[in-house]
Amino acid sequence: MKRPQDIQLEINQTSTIVNLTSVFESLASMKISAIKNEVIASQLFFKEIWHIYEQIRVDSLFRFGRTKNDEAIKKTLYIGVTGEGGFSGDIDQRLVRMMLKDYDKEKHDIIIIGHHGAIQLAQSGVSFQRYFKMPAKDQNINVRPLITEISKYESAIVFYQSYESLSVQGTAQIDLSKAVQAQGLKSGEDIAGDVITDETYIFEPSTFEVVAHLEDSMLAIALSQFIFESKLAQYASRFRAMSAAKQKANESFGELRTQYNRTKRSIADARLKETINGFRKAED
Amino acid sequence: MAVRQDASTGQLIDDDKPEAVDADGKPTMALKVYSPYKIYFDDAAYSISAVNETGPFDILPKHHNFITLVSTCKLNIQSPTGAQEFEISGGLMHVKSDKVILFLNV
Repeated sequence: MKRPQDIQLEINQTSTIVNLTSVFESLASMKISAIKNEVIASQLFFKEIWHIYEQIRVDSLFRFGRTKNDEAIKKTLYIGVTGEGGFSGDIDQRLVRMMLKDYDKEKHDIIIIGHHGAIQLAQSGVSFQRYFKMPAKDQNINVRPLITEISKYESAIVFYQSYESLSVQGTAQIDLSKAVQAQGLKSGEDIAGDVITDETYIFEPSTFEVVAHLEDSMLAIALSQFIFESKLAQYASRFRAMSAAKQKANESFGELRTQYNRTKRSIADARLKETINGFRKAED
Repeated sequence: MAVRQDASTGQLIDDDKPEAVDADGKPTMALKVYSPYKIYFDDAAYSISAVNETGPFDILPKHHNFITLVSTCKLNIQSPTGAQEFEISGGLMHVKSDKVILFLNV
């Protein structure tokens, strides 16, 4: 049987784990709430830019901010958004598996975001064009270097971690040009209906440059949102892991406390028995 | 007739629509300056001054419909609440019917 002092030590250690997991759980929850607010704010911003873009655009082709004369690489760029590693579970492996399912090095190039994903690709023997670190901060992510790469290609597909709820996170893929259009259509119910042309507006420097700039900006917002959603999924996954760890630590804490009380009681009982037996012997 | 078309811009102008003015009767326009994550100004203003590829420019009430890429500059806003200045790293400005929106960090 364990001594009460040893059990007390274990109780203290378990109590520390409960407190720590509780702090991590709260941190993950705060991050989730902050990122959700960021996404909502940037959606409103996107909506207003999209309204202007849709009124200028004469065709439906999204050119990733390229002018008509720019030659694009005739390949599809795959962009994988993964975690930096640690606490991410198997979600990164699933994402890389999904990305490599139809991968053909003659038709596709890969850019990977996140150290964990880069390792997964290297282990699968697949080379990638560029690697970017997953941004540590949760605001004003600089996606400019990524856009420079994307604009060189004819088309681009983003593979990202999707957030459905605190308990459900999955993997998803989307064609980037369709993603920007879908995002715009989602917010397009109250478009004023006016067409913006050179006849009704003054453009500086020119209509084409403004349109290219708008495409570039919307692409940046859409990309930031995919990165935010992946971060959201990672935080939610971490929150889930911490909740489970906290529950387990709480159960252990309860069991240890019962064990401690039983041990103390049994020691007290044993002492009482010895005392009673001592008295009986003395009476005899 | 209440609604007529401006010959130079083709814009429909409603003459019956009351002009926005401040307490002293000075014309104002609705101005919003914001980035994806922060609103810097959202109120009535007398004017906004910025710089684009062509050079410095001012927007006043009754300005023509206008879309421009704004360069890195010091933005100056004159409003009923006072003058304000911001350093900006660029953006896109949309002016229509006395409503000005400046999208920053785009």
